[in-house]
Amino acid sequence: MRQISAAYNRTIKELLRERAALFWTIAWPIIWVIIGSFSFTGGAPQEVIPYIKGSITISMMVFALMIAGMSNLPVSIAGDRADGLLAKLISMPIKPYKDFIGRISAVISLSLLAAALVIVIGVALGARFPGTGAHILQAIGFIFLVICASAGVGLIAGTLIKNLHGAIMTGVGIAVVTSAISGLFAPYEFLPVPLQSFARIYPVSSAQASIVYLLAGPDMVAYNPLTFGQVTLTIVLSIMLLLAGTVLYSRLGWKLE
Amino acid sequence: MFAIHVENLTKAYNSQRVLDGVNLDVPEGEFYALMGPNGSGKTTLASIIAAVKTQDSGIVEVYGKKPTQAKGLIGYVPQENFSSPKLSGRENLVYFATLLGYSRSQANQLATQMLEKVELCEEADKRVAKYSGGMRKRLEVATALFPGIKVLILDEPTTGLDPGARRSFFGMMQEVTDRRATIILITHIGSDAELASRVGLIDNGRIISEGTPDELKRKHVVEDVITVETAVKSDSVLSVLKDHSIDGKVAESEAGYKIYSRNGDKVLADVVRSLDQAGHKVMRIEMAPPTLEDVFFRLTEKQLREVTG
Repeated sequence: MRQISAAYNRTIKELLRERAALFWTIAWPIIWVIIGSFSFTGGAPQEVIPYIKGSITISMMVFALMIAGMSNLPVSIAGDRADGLLAKLISMPIKPYKDFIGRISAVISLSLLAAALVIVIGVALGARFPGTGAHILQAIGFIFLVICASAGVGLIAGTLIKNLHGAIMTGVGIAVVTSAISGLFAPYEFLPVPLQSFARIYPVSSAQASIVYLLAGPDMVAYNPLTFGQVTLTIVLSIMLLLAGTVLYSRLGWKLE
Repeated sequence: MFAIHVENLTKAYNSQRVLDGVNLDVPEGEFYALMGPNGSGKTTLASIIAAVKTQDSGIVEVYGKKPTQAKGLIGYVPQENFSSPKLSGRENLVYFATLLGYSRSQANQLATQMLEKVELCEEADKRVAKYSGGMRKRLEVATALFPGIKVLILDEPTTGLDPGARRSFFGMMQEVTDRRATIILITHIGSDAELASRVGLIDNGRIISEGTPDELKRKHVVEDVITVETAVKSDSVLSVLKDHSIDGKVAESEAGYKIYSRNGDKVLADVVRSLDQAGHKVMRIEMAPPTLEDVFFRLTEKQLREVTG
């Protein structure tokens, strides 16, 4: 446990003291909640605006979770490899999986903090979530899937991309580009048909659609993401990404040859 | 039992042999320097002893155990800075102590002790990003001085430090290390290796000579060493000096050049005359005692450090 807590404490302190990480994970989603709440609700009926704001808030919450896994995690891994820290850790009697658990727990903590702040700001700006307690619990399950998928991508990028700046650019690039083409930044119905298919398959966007469906209402989503097939696909792909990232990291992440 | 035993060690990267049958025995308590130029295999050898990399063939033992089983005995300080710049010195040490299994309070106590040892108490709570290069390296050495560490492996610990900071660093090392600790110093700086009780010269993946610094100098540099500093460095100066050096061999240093002669007094005067006749101004010329860098040059005709300018 001490090795896990050591890795956790170190990673969380570094993340909280890294301005770029705080900007992309917390400030950027909050900025878009504020912009979206005022820009994307013009012309909508008054009674619907709180739920549109709720939908925007959820999208940005998912983006915060995504960027934490896809950008902060590879930066943490690649940064340690670029410095001599990985060599130092390998020379010590510590188990790689404990470092991994501590590190990823810290990234998840930051992402949940960011998500909570986004929700608070969204609610303060008038977002409303008509979901029941059961819906909230199901939504938490989909949040967990977003974290799994994002962490998986982050582990893959951090393991394969040795260069620190390359890891930063790749993580942010994947997060921003996939957000743009999968309906996080723009409504699903405005996407071209091929990208609508991508949005249904990509586990982050399909989980996001599920959370919006549950918490902001079915009218806020252009398709039903809670069909058995769709939910199964989301769960399987999220877990597969996390497993792939974990296996890759455990096999190659602690090798310097 | 030796603290470190290496036998017929080989290692290759992409069919390029980096270590080619290395043999090395270091008794407990010895300060051993492994000196060689970049690409000679010394860092790879240190990495294998520290269990960071594995060999292709051969035996490596630390106190009779494989390096992977002896990690608790090894304090490894890699060449690159590994302390987190976003954490303070104390936080860095607490991190490494906790990784080794100490409780939070024990780790804090240990960190305070280590900071006192390496004279960083006043800067303990400042972020490492604000440390000088020497301070940061002292902090990183402190992570390798925790109780139970018997073998200290330092890979180029003084890279980037000015001569004053280097002297200060080794002064600190003398004070903080347990007399029973075995120290392996990896370096390409001859003056750093001079401090060791025994030096191994490594080139092309092989240890080419071993002994105390004085033994190596007596054995391999039997000539007088003359250092020459001219107003400018040029091929013309080099050409003049080659005519006066044994076998035409001239080594470059940051200060100028070094030539080797069996009759230093006579050659010194001849060199000044020849350079003057060729139109080159001599800033300084003197006979100097041989250094380990001279030993390495005489053995391999290679210089340990790239010289610019």
